[in-house]
Amino acid sequence: MSLLSATLAEPQSFATWEKLLLSALIIASAMLFFRRLAPILNRILKSRKDPNFSLAPLRKRIWDFFWEVVCQAKVIRERPLPGLAHAFVFWGFCAFALVTLNHFAVGFGLGFLDPVGFFGRFYSWFAAIFAAACAIGIFGLFVRRFFVRPRWLGEKISYESGIIAALIFILMVTYLAAFAVKSASPAALALWWIHSLSILVFLPIIPHTKHLHLVLSPATIFLSRGGFSKIPPLVGDEDFGLVTGKDLTQLTSLQSYSCVECGRCTEHCPANNTGKELNPKEIILGLRGYLNEFGPSSEQNIIGKYNSITADFQCTTCGACEYQCPVGIEHLPIIIGLRRGAVNTGAWEDEHGAKLFLALERGSNALGMSASERDKFIQKQAFPIFDGTQEYCLWLGCMGGYDPKGREIVADFARVMNYLGTSYGVLRKEKCTGDPVRRLGNDLLFQQLAESNLETLAQNRVKKIVTICPHCVRTIQEDWKEFGTPPEIEHHSEFLARYADKLPKRSEGAEGFNPRNTSTIQERVSAPAETPVAEQRQVSGHDFSHAENIPDPSGALAPAPQTPNNKIVFHDPCYLGRYRNVYEEPRAVASLAGEVVEAPRSHERSFCCGAGGGLVFLGEETGDRVSHNRANELIATGASTIGTACPFCNSMFRDALAEKGDAAPQLLDIAQLTARALPKSSAAQS
Amino acid sequence: MKIIVCIKQVPERDAQVRISSSGKWIEESDIQFAMNESDAYALEEALQLKEKHGGEVIVLSAGPERAGTTIREALAKGADRAIQVESDNLNQLDALGVAQLLSAAAKQESPDLVLTGLQSDDLGYGQTGVIMAELMGLPHASLILNVEKTDNGVTVKRELEEGWFQNIDLSLPAVLMIQSGGTKLRYATLMGIKKAKTKELRKVSAADLGQSAAPAATLEKITQPQKQKSTQIIPGSPKEAAATLVEKLKFEVRVI
Repeated sequence: MSLLSATLAEPQSFATWEKLLLSALIIASAMLFFRRLAPILNRILKSRKDPNFSLAPLRKRIWDFFWEVVCQAKVIRERPLPGLAHAFVFWGFCAFALVTLNHFAVGFGLGFLDPVGFFGRFYSWFAAIFAAACAIGIFGLFVRRFFVRPRWLGEKISYESGIIAALIFILMVTYLAAFAVKSASPAALALWWIHSLSILVFLPIIPHTKHLHLVLSPATIFLSRGGFSKIPPLVGDEDFGLVTGKDLTQLTSLQSYSCVECGRCTEHCPANNTGKELNPKEIILGLRGYLNEFGPSSEQNIIGKYNSITADFQCTTCGACEYQCPVGIEHLPIIIGLRRGAVNTGAWEDEHGAKLFLALERGSNALGMSASERDKFIQKQAFPIFDGTQEYCLWLGCMGGYDPKGREIVADFARVMNYLGTSYGVLRKEKCTGDPVRRLGNDLLFQQLAESNLETLAQNRVKKIVTICPHCVRTIQEDWKEFGTPPEIEHHSEFLARYADKLPKRSEGAEGFNPRNTSTIQERVSAPAETPVAEQRQVSGHDFSHAENIPDPSGALAPAPQTPNNKIVFHDPCYLGRYRNVYEEPRAVASLAGEVVEAPRSHERSFCCGAGGGLVFLGEETGDRVSHNRANELIATGASTIGTACPFCNSMFRDALAEKGDAAPQLLDIAQLTARALPKSSAAQS
Repeated sequence: MKIIVCIKQVPERDAQVRISSSGKWIEESDIQFAMNESDAYALEEALQLKEKHGGEVIVLSAGPERAGTTIREALAKGADRAIQVESDNLNQLDALGVAQLLSAAAKQESPDLVLTGLQSDDLGYGQTGVIMAELMGLPHASLILNVEKTDNGVTVKRELEEGWFQNIDLSLPAVLMIQSGGTKLRYATLMGIKKAKTKELRKVSAADLGQSAAPAATLEKITQPQKQKSTQIIPGSPKEAAATLVEKLKFEVRVI
């Protein structure tokens, strides 16, 4: 009680010279602060306006602000200990707003919080709790930055951070110490002055260090583009993406100045973690460096001194950086923007990239195969052709239509739909959705593919699409909006989860878990080769004149692990998880087939397979392979089965597991896991 | 160097062609069209020559209205301007008829070099360039992978049988038929397409060129190739069967 009865000591009166000195110091500090801040604000405001930016929906913005800024939810959730330490510093600052105002008012004899009055006493104690927490928090952060030194914070030690930490610590300690001294004592006066000077030194350090995030990041979070990896449309005839300073928009500039250099983006970046040049933090700081040197109206190319084209094209667009960023930086529109600039102007020269683009300029699919290969597959599977009467259009995608393993997945998913009695049909013609070229920044091709597909879907009166590929889902649902109104679309995990109670559940240790028990698929994919062409024509009513062999997919299956078990480790595809927020549905489906276990990095923190962003088409990686890194992590869980929900992930892991030989777990899509539990008779249906 | 590149628009590679009711051509309404592949390589060769030595690349194409998209594509990739010989009955013309139209238009430009693709992906006569050279009274070379400019003209690399190459020198002007695969193609860019909008595309008719199109050879009928499949079971022990299989693959199918 005696402790609680202590009151905050304040100096009682100030000499005129003290008041004059204080005024001069406040003015000097504030002027220094604004002189440093003004050019930055100027560069942000002088940047190009963001096309199609709208404050609506305001409710979401307010919620994000409340949740991410006020509650510090993301800061804490993704790095609990340093996050909490930061949150206490932040909340301490908020609680201190009133204290600080009163503090300076006291200096002019205008103090409005009476330390012995009811509210003043309450508030000074309230702030004291935060002061203590803040002091502990900043001390923890100081230890972390200067002694623990996680590599995400960068190689160089930031001495300014040390000074800031010391100042904050001094602020808190001098505040707390004032409870232990008597008002009007010389000690109270000394504490008061130290506290004041700390604030006045702190202020001008803010604008030119990462502490600028104190000022900018609340605005950055509030003003986000709204939507994950939201790629802005190109406007007019001169917009090709981020080419020069003139292309940097206000939001991009604001974000680049908001970076707090915490390195969470780098920590989770699959490229950076496998020894590649790309470091998402450096992409953002590069833009800041560019703006500082050249400004937003410069015609100097961004790629160059402050940005590496090699790094730009190492991004798998997995979105871990954007998801992690606590200050609202949207890395994907920036990295893709830089790629757009390079590709749309022809500056990017890459053998594999050009091959992919040419394949899609001249043909229909990213795999560069003849469209007749897809026709043959449809023919052999006897998939019904979509004619407007069926409920679903089954979108095959490039992987589902041309890749051997992707075809297996589609075939199995079709079996499940047959079993459920769902009516569906496939389109006679389908082009790549444009996902890889969208992410690589080829707007010309993307527009052509999107428009052509939208036309086909409209002609066929498609209302609902279901597909096995999360990349197709994302691209059709979000990216095509720029060119029309895409039909409703869902991923097969969502479809299957909805029917989970109608699907057979596999009992533990069922014989079907033998990975070699794939005869039904093998037969279905390769057996109809004997069917006479004339008869095939009858089935589909369509002329398929080139019935070649479909590659036998059975060779792609990984052998069984040493000790088979009933565990399935599910790998979250980036484009299903972070992009679409679908985490539980595929798990619900996989759990029908066995016990779902989690990899160390899962759900929102899932680690990319390495295929996204068009990278699966770009040839050999530098450094380690992302797919091997992830595959090793999945194998280490000890599960007999790796469950996937994306044909690209599947393809990447297939290659990674091939090196493991007999020790490798089997690799199955959730559709395959489901199909294996179907009663045998349903295999005969089509 | 003033280079003319002759480009033909053909059904795209993946197109499922159906024979039209006349039986003399394919149904064009439900297929998409693209630049003839070897013409794309001829264009690339021309663009690379221009980038190295300066000059102008002019696209020359005979075809109906729809050929405009392919011409724009060529302009987008870097050609400077284009001439389209309007022709709605291109498929009824023989190689001579097409060569007459193209060479008449090309002559007016007095080019240093005329490049064509080796052959078209639809009719595949492989003659148009050769006849053009004859009609223009110019030297020509075919099956070309690479063109280098020299002080006196050009050196071209021709691909012969069995991995042999032949380098020959030609004086300019000349007509060269480029084959696919000699170089790497560039991709079309958004910036290129936007620039192409402002580039000149001049349309001329056969009458403007003083050509009356009466083919010397007429197309009677086209048919889909008949497909046949045969399966052979090779008898014997695995060892014998494997030996027989190798024999057959080597000498019958000639794939190994």
